[in-house]
Amino acid sequence: MALIDVVNLSKAFGPKVVLSDVNLQVEEGESLVVLGGSGTGKTVLLRNIMGLLTPDSGHVAVEGKIIAQLSRDELFKVRQSIGMCFQMAALFDSMTVFENVAFGLRRHHQLSEDAIRDRVEECLSLVGMRGTEQLKPAELSGGMKRRVGFARAIALKPKILLFDEPTTGLDPVMTDVIGRVILDLKHELGVTTITITHDLKSAFEIADRIALLFRGECIACQHPDEFKINPNPVVQQFLRGDADGPFLQDPPPPKRKPKEAHA
Amino acid sequence: MVLTLFDKLGSGLLEALDTAGDFAVLSGRTFAAIFKRPFDGANLMRQFQSVGVNSIPVVVLTSLAVSMVFAVQLAFGFRQFQAEGLASQVEGLAIVRELAPVITGLMLSGRIGSAMAAELGTMQVTEQIDALECLATDPIHYLFVPRLLASAIMVPLLTGFSIYVGFWGGYLILVGVEGQSAFVYASEFYKLLAFRDVQIALTKAFVFGMIIALVGCWRGYRTRGGAEGVGNAPTSSVVTSSLWILIADFFLTKLLLV
Repeated sequence: MALIDVVNLSKAFGPKVVLSDVNLQVEEGESLVVLGGSGTGKTVLLRNIMGLLTPDSGHVAVEGKIIAQLSRDELFKVRQSIGMCFQMAALFDSMTVFENVAFGLRRHHQLSEDAIRDRVEECLSLVGMRGTEQLKPAELSGGMKRRVGFARAIALKPKILLFDEPTTGLDPVMTDVIGRVILDLKHELGVTTITITHDLKSAFEIADRIALLFRGECIACQHPDEFKINPNPVVQQFLRGDADGPFLQDPPPPKRKPKEAHA
Repeated sequence: MVLTLFDKLGSGLLEALDTAGDFAVLSGRTFAAIFKRPFDGANLMRQFQSVGVNSIPVVVLTSLAVSMVFAVQLAFGFRQFQAEGLASQVEGLAIVRELAPVITGLMLSGRIGSAMAAELGTMQVTEQIDALECLATDPIHYLFVPRLLASAIMVPLLTGFSIYVGFWGGYLILVGVEGQSAFVYASEFYKLLAFRDVQIALTKAFVFGMIIALVGCWRGYRTRGGAEGVGNAPTSSVVTSSLWILIADFFLTKLLLV
């Protein structure tokens, strides 16, 4: 049985269909990367897995439990086994880095302050953020915030980690750092991960399988090597990063020759 | 034309019912979450500090100003009938029964209700409330309950303090300026009052405290649309809670004075 089972998942906001009959299975210990253009429902998929949104039809099951059918207390139990890393980190800005990482531990475990301190230090070390315990989120750069967000997500020792566009808006070097941190977390913690990203380099480094969402549907879900040679023109256009092709609904502006551009 | 009018009226009514229902459900969930675990004492203390201690200067200044202006008006009015002695009695009655709870409620809806709406609104648009959910923490339990408890306890205490400050505001004018005897003022201030009046004032303040916290948290929690939404949340919170404070004041007065 798959650890995460997405079955015929559909979700619309008013007339806009965001997800349409999406099927995905993620096995224990597997790392799935979900690619797709902006507004194709990648974040909506993660929010359905976390139970932050309710599907219009279909369902998401985590460890065999259908998320939308759980009571609130049961849902909170399942959520303790999932770590969510938000696109902009979503750190609690009234708290220090230490308090952010310790938040889940204080709420759900009867640990001594020493044990909490040890666990927070351990989590911050794993993401290369030791020594920042007393800083406030406003004092951190974008990449640092994401890493503290990772530390907060792993503090409760989850079985599953979900990354929502962890490298968006970061410079290429920091993007590589974040990619390495995700790989380290995957190997050291042995967790199952779903990562949403636009960054193809880190996607191919992280992924055991790559899925591509296109206009609300999952049009490919395969091993990275197979994904690279997938003949689907949408997949190939996405890999080339070219504006011309079937990927965009509206035609892109025509390409100007360099001479015309200077004239 | 007529159909369009009915259509608009119908959709407006449905929207109003939807909003009222949403507020009622969130309020119900807040009351139900009061006794849930875990109990976060540090969070509650922070709210006591923010709602209560930090509001003292505002309460002192407004209570002093209102009681002094009211004393000036009473002294002037009763002088027309050579009945200056009644000014301190009416001052006491007005401050304890109406001015202290209502002015404190309205000022705190502006100070703490708007702050709650802005804080929760910012948390909503920056996904911090989703982060709470993902960390298996009920935002109603973590955010609403401490604010409701702090507000329901601190607003009556601040109202008691406002009555005390109001006494000295009246004293400054009626004794200091109008030349009444300090001894007479002190005894006349409480002459028309019974202990029940203080109870009524504190009951009103307790209800106002709940209105301020629930409306502030609700408006913040339902914030949508980025900076514009965060900007609208405090304004809408202050307007809504002020209106409900005045409406509740009327019904509580009618109910409690029977």
